[in-house]
Amino acid sequence: MAELDFERGLEQLFAEAPYFSDADGFAGRVENRLNRGWVMRRGLIGAAGVVGGVIGASQLFLSNVAQRIGDASEDSNRLIHAGMAQVKPGFDVLSLVHSDWTVVWVASGLAIVAMGFVLTRVIEEI
Amino acid sequence: MSASQPSKLSNFHDVELATLAQTGDRKAFGELVRRHGSGVRGLLRRMGAASSEADDVAQDAFLAGFEAIAEFRGEGAFAGWIKKIAARQYLRRLQRERRLATLALGAEAPEAASPPDAAGRIDLDEALKTLGAPERLCVSMCYGAGLSHAEAAEALNLPLGTVKSHVKRGLEKLRTRLAPADGALVEGSRANG
Repeated sequence: MAELDFERGLEQLFAEAPYFSDADGFAGRVENRLNRGWVMRRGLIGAAGVVGGVIGASQLFLSNVAQRIGDASEDSNRLIHAGMAQVKPGFDVLSLVHSDWTVVWVASGLAIVAMGFVLTRVIEEI
Repeated sequence: MSASQPSKLSNFHDVELATLAQTGDRKAFGELVRRHGSGVRGLLRRMGAASSEADDVAQDAFLAGFEAIAEFRGEGAFAGWIKKIAARQYLRRLQRERRLATLALGAEAPEAASPPDAAGRIDLDEALKTLGAPERLCVSMCYGAGLSHAEAAEALNLPLGTVKSHVKRGLEKLRTRLAPADGALVEGSRANG
C-alpha cells in the first residue's frame, strides 16, 4: 500500500509542470513554426497545381487537340446546317455563335483558375 | 466553432481546443501549447535532456502532435498524450544520434544533485539527478510520460525485465531521496529556464 501511495505521489510530482519564465515565448515559437509550415505547404501544393496545369495545357497543345476540335466542329457545322435547313430553310443558327479560338483558350484558362480555387478550398478543408 | 480569439480560447477545455485544432485551427493548438509546453519541457529535462535539446524536442513534439491531432480522441488527458509523443521523439533523437545505447547501458555517471533541505529531502528534479541514466529514463517514461513498462521497453529497445529492474532501482533511490524521514514526498519543484 505504501508502495502504491509512493508511486501515486511520484506521478503527481511528475504531473506538476515546472515554471519556465519563457513559457509564452516557447508557445510563440511553436505557433510560428506551425504557421510557417502551413504557408509552405500551401505554396508547395499551389506550385504543384500550376506545374500540373502547365503540363496539362502543353499536352493538349502538343496533341493537336485544337485541330481535331476544329475538324470535328466543321463536321458538326455541316450536319447542323443540313438539319436546320430541313427544319427551317433559310435560318442560320451558327451565325449567332462566334467560332473564335480565343474563346476556347479563355475558357480553358478560366477552368484552370477554377481548378486552382477548388484545390485551395480542398486543401483548407483538409 | 471556427478560429477563435486567444482570450476566449483560454476558457476552453483541452478537448474542445483539440477538436478545434482538428479543423486546422492553429490558434486553438497554440493555446494547448501554452498550457502544456512547460509540462512537456519539464518531462524532457527530467528524462535527461539538456535544456536547449529539451526545448527543440518539445517543439518537434508539438508539431508532430498537431499533425496527429486527429488521433487524439479525448479519452485520456491531452497532457499525457502529448507527453508520450515527446518522450518517443526524444528517444528517436537519441537513437538517431547513437546516444540511446550509451544511456540505456548506463555508461554515463549520474549528475551531482543539490544538497537536501533541512529535513534531508530534495525535490524531484534534484532527486532524478541521483539516478543512473537508464533508471532516470525508465522512471520518467513510466511515471512522467505514462508509458507502461512494455511500451518503455519497446521504445528503449530493451528487454522488459531490464526496464522493470531499472524502474525498481530508480524508485528505491527516489524513495530515499524524496521521503527519507517521514515518508512524505516533497511538493513542487524548482524553477527552470
